[in-house]
Amino acid sequence: MDLLLISVFVSVVGAVLSLLLSKKEDTAKKVACFFGTIASAIAVIAGVGAVLDPAGVSVSFATPFSFADFSIMLNGLNGLLLVAINILGFAAWIYGISYFDEYTGMGLGAIGFFMNAFIASMNLVLTVDNAFWFLVFFELMSLSSYFLVIIEQKPASIRGGFLYLVMAHIGFMGIMIGFLIMAAQTGSFEFATFRAHDFGPILGSVCFVLAFVGFGCKAGMFPFHSWLPQAHPAAPSNVSALMSGGMIKIGVFGIVKVGLDLLAATGVQLWWGLLILVIGALSSVLGVAYALGEHDIKKLLAYHSVENIGIILLGVGIGFMGLALNQPVIAGLALMAGLYHVLNHAMFKGLLFLGAGSVLYTTGSRNMEIMGGLVHAMPVTAMCFLIGSLAISAIPPLNGFVSEWFIYQSMFSIAGVATVAVKFFVAFAAVSLAITGALAVTCFVKAYGVTFLGSPRSEAAKQAREVPAPMRFGMVVLAVICVLLGIGAPWVAPVMQGVAASILSASTVVVAEGATLVNPVLGSAISTPLVAILLIACVLLPMAAKQVLAHGGEASDRDPWACGYALDPGMPVIATTFATEVKHFLRPIYAARTAVVAKKDAFVSGFNALVRGAGKAEGFADKYLVDTVASFVSWLGQKAQRIEGGNFRVYIVYIVAALVFFLVLAVLVK
Amino acid sequence: MEIIVAILQALLLVLLAPLFSGTSRWLRAKMHTRRGPSIFQDYYDIAKLFKRQDVHPACSSFVHTWMPAIFLGTMLLLAMGIPMFTAASPIPLLGDIILVLYLLALTRFFFSLSAIDSGDAYAGHGGVRELIVGVLVEPSMMLALFVMGLTCGTTSIAVMGQSVADLSVAAPVGVIVAAIAFFLACYVELGKLPFDLAEAEQELQEGPLSEYSGPSLAMAKMALSMKQTIIIAWFIAIFLPWGAATELTVPAILLGILFFLIKMAVIFFLCSVFENVVSRVRYKLVGRQTWCIVALAAFAFVLCALGL
Amino acid sequence: MLTTLSVLGLAATLVPFVCALVIAVCPQHMAKWICIFAAAVSTACALFAWIGLGIDGGVTQTLDIAAVGDALVVGFIFDKMSVMLATAFVGIGLLIAIYSVGYMNAGNREHPDAPRRRFYAFFTVFIGAMAGLVYSNTLVTQLVFFEITGACSWALIGYYHTATAQKSAMKALILTHIGALGLYVAVCLLFAQTGTFEVSALAGLDNGWKTAVLVCIIIAAWAKSAQLPFYMWLPSAMEAPTPVSAYLHGASMVKVGVAVLARALASAGVIPESVGWVIVIGAIVTMLFSFLMYLPQKDMKRLLAFSTISQLSYIFLGFGFYVFGSQLAFDGGVMHIFNHAFAKTLFFLVAGCFSYVLGTRMLPNIKGVIKKYPLLGVAFGCAALAIAGCPPFNGFFSKFAIFGGSFQAAQGNWLLMLIVIVGLLETVACFAWFLKWMGQVLPGEPSPTVEAGVAVPKQMTAVFVVLIIMTVASSFIAAAWIG
Repeated sequence: MDLLLISVFVSVVGAVLSLLLSKKEDTAKKVACFFGTIASAIAVIAGVGAVLDPAGVSVSFATPFSFADFSIMLNGLNGLLLVAINILGFAAWIYGISYFDEYTGMGLGAIGFFMNAFIASMNLVLTVDNAFWFLVFFELMSLSSYFLVIIEQKPASIRGGFLYLVMAHIGFMGIMIGFLIMAAQTGSFEFATFRAHDFGPILGSVCFVLAFVGFGCKAGMFPFHSWLPQAHPAAPSNVSALMSGGMIKIGVFGIVKVGLDLLAATGVQLWWGLLILVIGALSSVLGVAYALGEHDIKKLLAYHSVENIGIILLGVGIGFMGLALNQPVIAGLALMAGLYHVLNHAMFKGLLFLGAGSVLYTTGSRNMEIMGGLVHAMPVTAMCFLIGSLAISAIPPLNGFVSEWFIYQSMFSIAGVATVAVKFFVAFAAVSLAITGALAVTCFVKAYGVTFLGSPRSEAAKQAREVPAPMRFGMVVLAVICVLLGIGAPWVAPVMQGVAASILSASTVVVAEGATLVNPVLGSAISTPLVAILLIACVLLPMAAKQVLAHGGEASDRDPWACGYALDPGMPVIATTFATEVKHFLRPIYAARTAVVAKKDAFVSGFNALVRGAGKAEGFADKYLVDTVASFVSWLGQKAQRIEGGNFRVYIVYIVAALVFFLVLAVLVK
Repeated sequence: MEIIVAILQALLLVLLAPLFSGTSRWLRAKMHTRRGPSIFQDYYDIAKLFKRQDVHPACSSFVHTWMPAIFLGTMLLLAMGIPMFTAASPIPLLGDIILVLYLLALTRFFFSLSAIDSGDAYAGHGGVRELIVGVLVEPSMMLALFVMGLTCGTTSIAVMGQSVADLSVAAPVGVIVAAIAFFLACYVELGKLPFDLAEAEQELQEGPLSEYSGPSLAMAKMALSMKQTIIIAWFIAIFLPWGAATELTVPAILLGILFFLIKMAVIFFLCSVFENVVSRVRYKLVGRQTWCIVALAAFAFVLCALGL
Repeated sequence: MLTTLSVLGLAATLVPFVCALVIAVCPQHMAKWICIFAAAVSTACALFAWIGLGIDGGVTQTLDIAAVGDALVVGFIFDKMSVMLATAFVGIGLLIAIYSVGYMNAGNREHPDAPRRRFYAFFTVFIGAMAGLVYSNTLVTQLVFFEITGACSWALIGYYHTATAQKSAMKALILTHIGALGLYVAVCLLFAQTGTFEVSALAGLDNGWKTAVLVCIIIAAWAKSAQLPFYMWLPSAMEAPTPVSAYLHGASMVKVGVAVLARALASAGVIPESVGWVIVIGAIVTMLFSFLMYLPQKDMKRLLAFSTISQLSYIFLGFGFYVFGSQLAFDGGVMHIFNHAFAKTLFFLVAGCFSYVLGTRMLPNIKGVIKKYPLLGVAFGCAALAIAGCPPFNGFFSKFAIFGGSFQAAQGNWLLMLIVIVGLLETVACFAWFLKWMGQVLPGEPSPTVEAGVAVPKQMTAVFVVLIIMTVASSFIAAAWIG
């Protein structure tokens, strides 16, 4: 707990110092990175402590606001997210020592300020235990990242930032209304009172749906995902890593927190789980399908975040369903799978964004079409990006596969105990996950192959060099963690399970025995360390055999075959090839998006008509109320002027008439 | 003991895979009323290739160099895990359907990646097609496996096989339809005509393997034949498990090998006959066929859900 | 009983009046310094009064100044609300007086001028009138200062003596005077029923009379605070020099209406629900209408005028829900008076700065401000975010209190709940609109208009720094004091 507060304090100090040193950009950058790294490291330690001991510690401070104390609580769930976000932060800050040189002249002091504020507010959002302060730091988080998104001040970044902050604010409003409803029922803004109160099925569902939509906007799930591909590419790459790997997870955190933690006394309902499941399935398929159509490497990665949020929601959804169907073991398993994927995605998405940043740094472009052949010039970046690609495609034995395996296992387990209708939903989800896996493989073969392999397709790609040491360090740290989370899964999974169990207030489920991962419901088991060892052995064996048995020698200096023609740089496969093929086979998915975008034009013209109408209406009040009355009064005045004819004889008649009138009146009254 | 069975399976598959593909070639020749090569031709080809020079394009990287080894290694791994002669999986930890599916994804990843790495336009297109076929086939495979997982209450291949062998499955009609759907999906995955899309000799000149020669090509070809064998073995292990050894005694294992070879031979024969009477499907229309298979698998699921 | 507190309060009110007379006879170049002196003294007195009340533990003190028989005619009250608001209003007056030194000179590209005595005299009177109004304990005192502010507003709106300016000034005077009729009627009714003019006597009225008096006060409040159907004068009042717009029409005169209503509601005891419905429905209709009016605005000051109308309707909404039972909504409304004063002042002063350095206030022509004028850009951003209601700026905290309290009070009544939700949706729309303008004005390459701009005067810079700090700090100060 103290460590967390120290970390936030260090971030704030770093932010302020960085802003004060704005004139000296280099110093500001170093100061920001230094304080940021330390703050993240401390927060990781705090998070790991909370994960290993998920019981929960809380502390409370009084604030000027009588209706809201500043309470902080550190338990398993937010400890896990603290670990995920701050490891990313750590890597991102170290990466930034060299990467931020790209942004000299664009306000490094401001970048340092906002990035420190961003990480500090994320840490606080995760841990505050009061609805009011949660909302405050939620908005602060969105605001600080908004400024980072628009930092390049180009029209595309500003548009992306605008859409992002408006969507975040809409999400915020949904969450706020949900919390206001809960606070009105319980009379206080403390999460502790929400936890203890039973809101009843109807009100509980209303609050859940509001929280789901609100946090879903933040998480970037379908259909609230459109801001992700516009905002994430615009920010600096290490900030994109933090946003994609960290911030959108806070959306998932919110859904789990409201549904399972705050509404614990109300009870989870089955249709909540089904809703999450369906949205998760749709997000995952649509996210990866749209990713395949992109040529901008960061936009591609942003769409993949939509996909992975979908996968996380699949696990979380089955967790909800398990609770509703009174299957605590399946619920524990599924929730663990979802949380494991949260951590995994943070790691490999962060890695991929840092890799994309390295490519951007060295070639100056995000367009995959003009790259190629970078693997020779940037071996470390290429290897790290390959590990990230394998991890995100859920290739055994890396970490993505482990969490997806657990999600499949929870799907198979729950289908066994569910009704027929629910079985259909789960089957739909399983098929979606399978399609997603295959599409992800396609997409990352494209991303990796077109960017790093083949021949360079432009001068920039030919001039590429390996990136400086801090950037390499950031990437390597995350790559190593991906590998460890995969091969070390039998030892990590029980810890994750402890976190899930603490959220559900249930007993822990056995998910690993020795060096194997098990599904206690169905009895299935795999072992990632075993797969890793055997895979390495089985791959080295043929290679060794080849060295021994081959007699022909090697040649590595030919051009590829081009039907007898000289090889043209336009011949090899590029991103467009993939995009065209995929768009052909997944036509309905792309057609749906085009149809929705077409509606946007109708909306825009409707809005413009409204603006014109308001412009005309602006003058109505003046024209019809004020001017009419004023002109009437003038007219009246003109008419009344006739009394003053100028003829003094008429005035004398007036005086005499008045005298007579008052004399008569006096007599009558008496 | 299981380790020995595992290694035996792997070795046997390595040694026999060229025989199966060689027999396929011979059968095609016979159907075309040609004399055809000997059934051991593939062995001679592999030996010859080992003597040749190993070629890699100038622009390629470690991916191109290591792909054949990764492919072959993964196939060996799969061969150790899928129950072929025995009812139980030799290494149960490798006999999980999700693991098998994603190990196949691993091979597809590197296969296509090496195609892009070679910088060859034909190889690249072959790689893209390989990935697309994977996308189109995954839903039906997963759905059919989901049916099996649901009825047998497990994701382990061996346990599924045993439920089918005991005829103790909960939804028999559903299982039969799922078997058909799974077989069709596997057939597409095999890459035999009409779904010979990645290689597509007439269009793409061997597809992703265009730029390989020498020992690398030999390993890749071996791995490809092994992949076909393993996929059929996977189908047999789940849906045609009869005859596999239930105890780990030498006679039972020998009997298991015998039954396995018979089942493989029958299926390979049927596949070879079929592949030689059709031409390649039009690539742009392959979606129609695969979505039909998905529909069939969905129908199997409906039957399973209803308990039929 | 003349305590130190009451002396300070009296000083805060009367010193500006005296100084205004001095300005009328002094040489022209001294006018602005006398004004600043008066404002500074007034601010110091109000501030010490605030601190004094805090030291006394927040216990309300009253000062009876003039009574006729049993009827108290002129009286002051020093309670939590009045000391806070008075300090805010006169303090902002001081800041704007300093700002106007930089604005009202020949260097102004849009309205080159000189620092005339006419301007400073009326401005100083206004500062005193605001303090007096907030401290007023009787309806008569309120009415007197109400009308004084109206007169000053007429003089200052028509300051530039153009045809439109004079017409706008007249429109403002007449419309607010029509509203004042409500206050006249309220005075008469109250005296007829209770025999005194004290606001606290409202609590003793029976429901029918109470409703009547309160509705009359509401009408006065609506007119002065530019709510429907009396809003028309405020956008036209933008003809005034920008410091005047900032003070009168952003920070203080428009707050007269809500301040009068706040005092009445706080003293009225148990209020009939019909009054609450009147306030709430008026507020929500004004809110929606003023948002629609944002959309075609290109002139920054007109946009800010409509924004003021909409922010005031939030305060009215809070007060309306106070009638339905929420103390939190009332406190939120009072906090919002305090917070909005600082935020809107800052925003108007930024607009004035645009006039001065760029020669235009037309937002489509102004781009890339942050590159050429970093502090001005930051000021614009802080003000926009504060008005939009984004933490950590002050607007969020008071809006949250208003809507949180309203939500609680609306439990069980679907129409009230609908109104709260519509209000919340309007805040989202307002946020999006201000974010849009912020995104267009601040980042990017400076437009030709901005490139050609001159340097920002020192006085303006100093005032901006103070106001930026207040846009963050004021909500905490207000919450700590009231809550």
